[in-house]
Amino acid sequence: MDYFAVLGIPRRPVVPESALQRAYNQKSKLLHPDRAEGSDFSSINEAFQVVSNPAARIQHLLKLEFGEAGDRQIGAELGGLFGMVVEVLQRADQELDALSGQASPLLRALAFQRLDVLRVALDDAEKQIAERQSELQSRIAAVDQIWSQDRARCQKPLAQIAVDLTFVQKWAAQVRERKVRLEELL
Amino acid sequence: MNEIVGIDLGTTNSLIGVMDSGFPVLIADSEGSRLTPSVVHFPEKGDPIAGGPARRMLILEPERTVYSVKRLIGRRSGESEKEDLPFAVKSIDGRMMVDVRGHRLTPEQVSSLVLRKLKADAEQSLGRPVDRAVITVPAYFNDLQRQATKRAGELAGFAVERIINEPTAAALAYGLNRLRDRSKIAVYDLGGGTFDISILELNDGVFRVLSTNGNTRLGGDDIDREFVRLLKERIIGRHPDLRPAVEDRIFLARLREIAHAAKLRLSTEDIVAIEIPFLTGTNSFSYSMTRQELEAIARPIIRRTRSHCIRSLDDAKLDAAKLDEVILVGGVTRMPSVRQFVAEVFQRLPNITQNPDEAVAVGATIQAGVLSGQVQNVVLLDVTPLSLGIETFGGLMNVIIPRNSTIPCKAGEMFTNAVRNQTSMQITVLQGERELAKDNWELGRFELAFEPVPKGVARVGVQFEIDADGILHVLARDTKSGREQTVELSSAVDVADEAVEKMIAESLDNAFADMSERLWTEMVLKSNELIPAVRSALTLVGDQIGPEEVQGIAKLVAEVEAAIEAHSPMRLKKANEELDEGTQHLATLLIDRAMAEAAKRKSAS
Repeated sequence: MDYFAVLGIPRRPVVPESALQRAYNQKSKLLHPDRAEGSDFSSINEAFQVVSNPAARIQHLLKLEFGEAGDRQIGAELGGLFGMVVEVLQRADQELDALSGQASPLLRALAFQRLDVLRVALDDAEKQIAERQSELQSRIAAVDQIWSQDRARCQKPLAQIAVDLTFVQKWAAQVRERKVRLEELL
Repeated sequence: MNEIVGIDLGTTNSLIGVMDSGFPVLIADSEGSRLTPSVVHFPEKGDPIAGGPARRMLILEPERTVYSVKRLIGRRSGESEKEDLPFAVKSIDGRMMVDVRGHRLTPEQVSSLVLRKLKADAEQSLGRPVDRAVITVPAYFNDLQRQATKRAGELAGFAVERIINEPTAAALAYGLNRLRDRSKIAVYDLGGGTFDISILELNDGVFRVLSTNGNTRLGGDDIDREFVRLLKERIIGRHPDLRPAVEDRIFLARLREIAHAAKLRLSTEDIVAIEIPFLTGTNSFSYSMTRQELEAIARPIIRRTRSHCIRSLDDAKLDAAKLDEVILVGGVTRMPSVRQFVAEVFQRLPNITQNPDEAVAVGATIQAGVLSGQVQNVVLLDVTPLSLGIETFGGLMNVIIPRNSTIPCKAGEMFTNAVRNQTSMQITVLQGERELAKDNWELGRFELAFEPVPKGVARVGVQFEIDADGILHVLARDTKSGREQTVELSSAVDVADEAVEKMIAESLDNAFADMSERLWTEMVLKSNELIPAVRSALTLVGDQIGPEEVQGIAKLVAEVEAAIEAHSPMRLKKANEELDEGTQHLATLLIDRAMAEAAKRKSAS
């Protein structure tokens, strides 16, 4: 299924959020089961979910255009970030697990002091991940510039962006999950 | 075609409304109230009665009068905690049943009696029959609870046109006059029995839920229960001989009523005189309850809503600062301390323009208008609150539809035979966010049939679909024959019950032997951790508390040490607890200090 076509938007790497939002709202008003009984609104939701997620959108675009998914391996320059994220996540899990089993308010408060270091590390990881994410976004924008003229030339860079972005988004979610757990313990 | 009514089927009260020349209007019941108590009384003789007249029987015949049944609906006996209800609740074939002097009813049967009253009174008031309805449920209700609610509606004689989520309904009530706006709002809904938080985006008539979270066992009932506990303590404190008398069912029902009424008044008054004349014989009891005292017992309950708020913001990928409004609904949000709490969590004053009791019913009525075509330009996009998945090898949950997916939605999964000539495979369907299958709700199981073929050759596709009511449908399709069929999930409660019993039996076998020794070791370990912690806390923030408090803490520490010396488990347990309690303030100061330092670092960097 071509999710771009389902939503009635141009099939290309960059989809402006406002245009996507408008298309989805329009389809919702026409096809939501409250409006049109028996319509296939699930596909609209599925399409919106894929197209609004940059990594999933690029993967989908690759499949549609070139019949293949993204690369297998993350780019070499992401290696350092990967190591750092794994380490922070492991430390976070250890400390959070130890703390969430603790019932004494005072012991929790003292452990909380230690968590401050962890919080800084998580914030730092999040910042670095966000930088990577926006860097990948601008690479998508660059590819989008040549999309109409030379589509074949877009395949290779998009395949790398797809896998990198998939991983970076996953790390972002994992770090956020630890931050939420930390916040919950307050 | 007949019109559609909107119904809020609440834990404490239920309401019904109808669109009248473009406006949602709530209908008063035969007692003249728009709030119909969700209470059913089963008299000795004759038919059950529901609503206001039933509520009056609560204190007269508590064991024949059923309330808060929403806490039981769609639940299985294995998962339920002990419910503190005066009528009998029994587990029959793994289901929760209400037992009123031998009459056994499912919770949905009881709910249907409340719905019947709403229906009859609305018909009386409108002068025409109503038989189609939109019914609201807590957003965090799972599939089983939604199905049971739908069944309750059908039992009452309604065609249930839509099940919608309570906070989403409230958002409709808030947003109907602001269809042109583009904004992001949170709805904080703390009712009698359940808590929901939903975050929505309003854009040109499209109400899109971005995320939802909640707890279907958290609400005003919990505050009432703690209030009753406090009153019981005070009564016994003054009249130790009344200890057995306060446990009497009728007396407790009376106490609950008194506590509930006082709680409501304390939202606007600072102090309420509680009078219980003729407690026993000539003994009476009077007590001045302050708002401060009520807030102290309510605080831990209200605080439990915090992590749900944090999670839903995170799932919506939003900072609290990005929200335009936080709408309060549910009766408990009348409490000033709840408002203050919400203001802290969301860093803004909450919006209290909606009637906390009525907004959900008004929203349900608007949705009824959407379905009947009376309300144009509005569409609701809701989400499924819980992840849906299946149990995989090794007892893990494999998510197929993640939480907060917009509904309706569907997802397919392909299954194949693991060994040659395997004829069938059992699939367990789960709902929840935990990694281990057993920690989630089991919605049911079904069997997939395979043709006898070599390993890995059979192909059966299964489609999981969550409809606009948030209810699951499963469809299996044999890719070879192209045969498609709806799959009925069979409830696995019998198995579950057996497993629970076995688990309990096993743990009991091992428990008694080493329990006391293990508990003692644990308690001493805790003390050994706690005492040095107190010392370091005092060096860090000791200067911020008064000398009496320091002395008091020293005394508590001494008592812990003495209890260890005396090798008295009971004494140590109490001493540890008292030290925990006595150092609460220190803990708060420590956290404040850590926060201040973190903020300092943040601004420095």
